[in-house]
This record gives sequence, C-alpha cells and structure tokens, in this order.
Amino acid sequence: MVVTRSSGAGFKPNSPRTRTALRWNWDFLFLIPALSLFSVFVLYPFCSIFFRSVYQWDGVNQATFVGLKNFIEILTRDYGFWLAMRNALYWAPITIVAQMIVGFALAYILTSGVPFQSIFRAIIYFPAIVSPIVVGIVWQRIYNPFGGLLSDIGAAWHIPALMIPFLSDPKIAIFSVIVVNIWQWTGYSMILYVAGLKTIPEEILEAGTLDGAGVFKRITRIIWPMLRHVHLTLILLGIIGTLQTFPIIYVMTQGGPNHATEMLPNYIFTQAFRLQAVGYASALSVILLLLALSLSVFQMKVFGSRFAT
Amino acid sequence: MPKKRRNPWCLLPLSLALIAGDIPATATEKTVTFRSWSPIVETTNQMIAAFNQKNPDIKIEAKIFNYPDYLVDLQTRAAGNSLPDIIGLEPGALTQQYKQFLLPLQDLAAKVWGSNWKEKFYPIAIEQARLGNAKEDENFYGLPVLTQTINLWYTVPVFQELNLQPPKTYDELLKIAHTVQSKGAAALLVGAADGWVRRDIYMQLIHNIAPGLIYKAEAGELKFTDPPFVSAMHWWKRLFDDGIIQPGALGLSAYPGSMELIEAGRAATFPMGAWWMQQATRPNPPPLSKGLSGFAPVRFPDVTGKGQPDDCLGGIDVMFGISKSAKDPEAAFRVVADWIDGAGAQALINTFNDLPAVKGLSPQKFETENEQRVWQMLVNDWLPKVKYARQLQKPEVKQAFEDALAAVAAGELSPEKAMERIQTAADKVR
Repeated sequence: MVVTRSSGAGFKPNSPRTRTALRWNWDFLFLIPALSLFSVFVLYPFCSIFFRSVYQWDGVNQATFVGLKNFIEILTRDYGFWLAMRNALYWAPITIVAQMIVGFALAYILTSGVPFQSIFRAIIYFPAIVSPIVVGIVWQRIYNPFGGLLSDIGAAWHIPALMIPFLSDPKIAIFSVIVVNIWQWTGYSMILYVAGLKTIPEEILEAGTLDGAGVFKRITRIIWPMLRHVHLTLILLGIIGTLQTFPIIYVMTQGGPNHATEMLPNYIFTQAFRLQAVGYASALSVILLLLALSLSVFQMKVFGSRFAT
Repeated sequence: MPKKRRNPWCLLPLSLALIAGDIPATATEKTVTFRSWSPIVETTNQMIAAFNQKNPDIKIEAKIFNYPDYLVDLQTRAAGNSLPDIIGLEPGALTQQYKQFLLPLQDLAAKVWGSNWKEKFYPIAIEQARLGNAKEDENFYGLPVLTQTINLWYTVPVFQELNLQPPKTYDELLKIAHTVQSKGAAALLVGAADGWVRRDIYMQLIHNIAPGLIYKAEAGELKFTDPPFVSAMHWWKRLFDDGIIQPGALGLSAYPGSMELIEAGRAATFPMGAWWMQQATRPNPPPLSKGLSGFAPVRFPDVTGKGQPDDCLGGIDVMFGISKSAKDPEAAFRVVADWIDGAGAQALINTFNDLPAVKGLSPQKFETENEQRVWQMLVNDWLPKVKYARQLQKPEVKQAFEDALAAVAAGELSPEKAMERIQTAADKVR
C-alpha cells in the first residue's frame, strides 16, 4: 500500500481527501508505463526536432547553429516545399470528398439487400488491406503508357484518354496518384458507412416513406444528416492521412517528376536521408507538426462537440 | 525415486539470448558485425560461408537493408555510437559523412597484402576510394569491393530480327527508333522515374561532349551554364522529342518497371551498367536473361560527330569500411580482405553482382559463350580504361540534376533554365 501522508496529527484515514490522494497516487503509478513510452517516442522526438531545426546538421557530424535560416529558406525559396503544400491542398479535399461520396453510395447499395452483398463488401474492402508498396508497383504498371494495362485497353478500343502519360506529365501526375489512393481507401469509408447505416432505426426510414419521401429525399434529408458522426470521422481521418502520406508516393513517383507529386513526409525523407540535411528536414518537420496541430485544434473547435452526438 | 526438479529461472538468460539471437561467441570465436545495402542477402550469405570455410574462428553477423533503410540505420547507429564493425559505403559524400567514425585502412592493407597493395586494384577503384578527401588527407576510409561501368545494353534478338547493328551514333539510334516502333519496342527503354537513371544518361552525354568537364564545374572551376553542359541537356531533351526514349518514361521505375519490359524483349537498347549481368543468375530467369544470351553491352552513341569516347564512366559500386568502435579491427579486416580478393570475393563474383575491384578475379562458371564474352569485354577492355566517375560528389548537386533533367524531359524547363537551376544549387552548397 502506498502511504501518502505520515500518520501524525490531523491525519484522518477515512476522510474523502485522503482517499482521493491515495487513489491519485495509485492511478499515477499505472500511468507510468504509458507516460514513459509517450516521453520516449513522442515528447523526446517532438522536442528534438524543434532543437535540431535551428541547426545546419547532417545527422552525424558537428552541427552549426543557423537560427531561423532553415525556416526562412523553406518559406521563401523552397520550390519542393511549396509544391508539397499545393499537393496537400489537392490531396485532402479530393480524397475525402470522393471517398465519402463513393463509399456512401457503395454502402447504401450493399445494405439494401442486393445478393452476395457480403462478398461484394469484402472485395471492395480488399485494397485497404493490401500494402501500399504493392498497390504502388501494380498501379505504376497499369498507368505505364508503354505496355501498361490502361494504354493497351486504350489502343484496343481507340480511347486516347487512356493512353496519356499519367505519371510522367507533371500537370496530371498528382491526380493520377490521388485516384489510386481513393481506389485503395474507398472500401474503408464504405465499411464505416455500412456500420453507420445500421445504426439508423428502421422506423425513421419507414416514417419517411409513409410521408411520401422517395429514395433521393430519404437519402438527402434523413440518412445523410443522420450519418454526421461518420462524415466527421472520415474528414478527421482523411486530413490525418493526407499529412501522413508517404509509401504510395515513394513507390509510384518518388515525388516526381520534378517534385510534381511531392508530399511533405516524402520531402522530409529526401532532405534528411538523401541530402544529409537533417537540420533542414527537422525544420520541415516542425512546420508539418504545427500544421497538424493547427488542423487538429481547428477540427476540435469546429467539430469537437458534434463527434459525440 | 522422485524426479529432481530444475529451477526454471536458470533457463531465463539462455531464453533471452535465444530470443535476441545473441548467443555469446565461444572463447576462441570472435564476432564481426556487418551492415550494408549491398551485396544482397543471398550473396552475402554465400560470402560468409566461403569465408568461414577457411576462417571458422570468426563469426559474422550480417544485416542487409535496402538503400534508404540502410541510410536511416547508419545515421541512427552513428548517433547512438553503435555502428557495426564493417560498414558498406559509397565513395564521396557518404564516406565523407561518416569518416570520423571510420578507421583508416591503408596500414592494415599493407600488413595483409604488402606495401604495394594498391597495385592489386584497378586504378579507378583506388582513385575513387578517396573521393572527397581533403588534399592533405591520404587515408583510405573504405576499400573498394565491387566496381562497375555504365553503358547501354542492346537486346540481341531484336537487333537480329530487324537486321540492325548496335548504334554508334545518335543518327543510328534515331533510325533504330523508327524501325523498332512498329515491333512494339522502344529504341531506348528508360525507367526515368529513378533519378539515378536520368543522371547516368546525362553523365554519358556530357562525357561524350566534353570529357571530365563536369567534375570541374562541380568543383566550382566552371559554370554549369557553360555551353557544353547546356548542349548535353539539349541532347537529353532530344532523346524524348525524337521518340527515342519511350513515352511515359518519367513515370516508370528502373526496378522492377523497366527491368520487366526489357526482359520481355520490349527494349532495343537500355541504359544500365555492368551490374545487368546479374540478371542471369537469378532463379528461373526469363529466356533473354538465361546465360545472358539475349543481351550485350554497347557504348553510349556519339552525339558530337567526332566518335564515341574510348572510355566509359564507372568506378566503385560499393566499398567497405571498418568502424573505430570495432572490438577487433584486425579480425574485421580479415573479413574485408577476404571479401575483396579471397574466397568470399570469389563467391561474390560468381553471382555477377558487378565487376571486381581487384585484378584477376573471374567467375568460376559461365553459362554461355556470350556471358563469358561480355565479362571479358567489361573487365579487360572497359574497366581498366575508366577514367571518370559515374557519380558526382555532392548530394545537393546530384539532386538538382535529377530535378532539372525531369523538368526538361517533361517540358517544364528549357535546357538553359535547367542548367541555371543546377548552378544555383551548386552555388548554394559551395
């Protein structure tokens, strides 16, 4: 037993205050493993990147203090960084909206009693459990205009739109990768919507039907609003996913051509490990961290209270 | 008689050691640790087995990564002062970054091989091993294990079927492009999503136009905006505009993307190096790669009208260094020495992983005459003549080249603007 106070004058073993103190200490002991892990794997790297971000450092040798030079360089002259920011702005809304709409449509169809709906759900969910490395390699082949699947179909059926250089044209490369990302994760959205749809009481839908609401009205006026918690979850996960995007880009395009598909995590990796600029990469990480924190605070402010309802 | 009970706790240390894979070596057995990205795991295991046949007293613990993971591991271990005994290195920037942790090896080399040890190696291997050293720094922080040349390869059956000759000039390559297109093949099939492939082609173009000039520009003696560099960039652009390089090349990785198309016979020529020979040694290789029967090397075609240079670019593929924290540097060097020119080196060369760093090593078995002919050509005719490095020294300049080459190929930048960007990047690191 942990004794929290000496048993001198004024100590009342059964007083509520003493019981609270005792419980607090026990609770704290149980928190130690989690706090230790948090300190080592979150707090220390968190502090470390702030510290490293004001140095020019190759990760191995003596570091040179440069103040805010890394940040100024990033914000004023770094072409790759701004392309990565632009791409994040494309990535988040396009993937989130597309995955929500397609995921919802699939979920609606696959909860409306179509035959073999469990099998279809499994097939549609399947890409979400495949490694992004495999997905990247396969889709690079599919997109290849020289002997790739789409190109061959385009040639056979005379569809020039399928024969374009999907990944090598800087203007469309990022959208080509976004399509793959949507394809991979739509099954996940669908599963969340399926779960959400099952929570809607049947009586409400029947009441809507009795009041003369058709399919479209039932979806837009009853079902869609009642799935608000699923929408918010998907938005939150979509934004987190955007900030974490790495393997699919690394495998499919390596951020190219000429940074056209660069995302911030890929750019940080390139700076830290290919260009030996760990200080600069730390400054980029600080920016990514601040961005993630700002978005989290914003989401909590805007959606926070509605997640529970 | 009651059975004697054993205290289960006495097994705990052994269990932990087994779980950690860290059974202590016997008193006479030394352990040497090795980490690298090259050679691949299977080849490394063969090298260890070959070494241990004659050296059972040294246990080698090896871990092989892919290259990006290896860089992460190396950096983390250097920061944590837990580097392995033997470290895989590239000449230039990587070796320079870690040299404070590396043991100079020339004395150990002289002890094992004698005072004229440098003569064992191909000249370019010795020259490049100290790439990036300060002028007064004569130390060898790593010794070369494998070397390479970069060049084009051509697919022999494609050329035979169309009655073509390997291209010696740009015009000949252009004619090949017109001929092979109808057969569904690319004149020059390039996995240009990988920056190193783009750089390799540019390096061969500038080597043709002005041999040796690019290293002077990297050292700051010349500008990358000078006419020869811009001209090489124009030729790079023409390779795309003239349809010599296949469409969508910037979206295709070298491995496995371009490799599969090449082995399927879709390439008339393709840019790789001496390492392409190892395609023949994989399990169940496709028909073209079996015994390397379908491929042969050729120098990059001339774009100047003055003829191809007599030499190829090339140099060290991988070298090994020994960390200062190695418990037994002499044991570690015995391993390195064996992998450079002993039984381990023979096992390594038998896989055709790349070319040896020392003279006189040759695979023990060739599957076809073509394979033997290619080997002899690379080792006897090309490698001894290599004068200039395939690689640039500074990662920032390399990256600037890779970006600029992609931008020019995609039509985002003119060759002139692209070279200006490279010059800006070079100025920044100087």
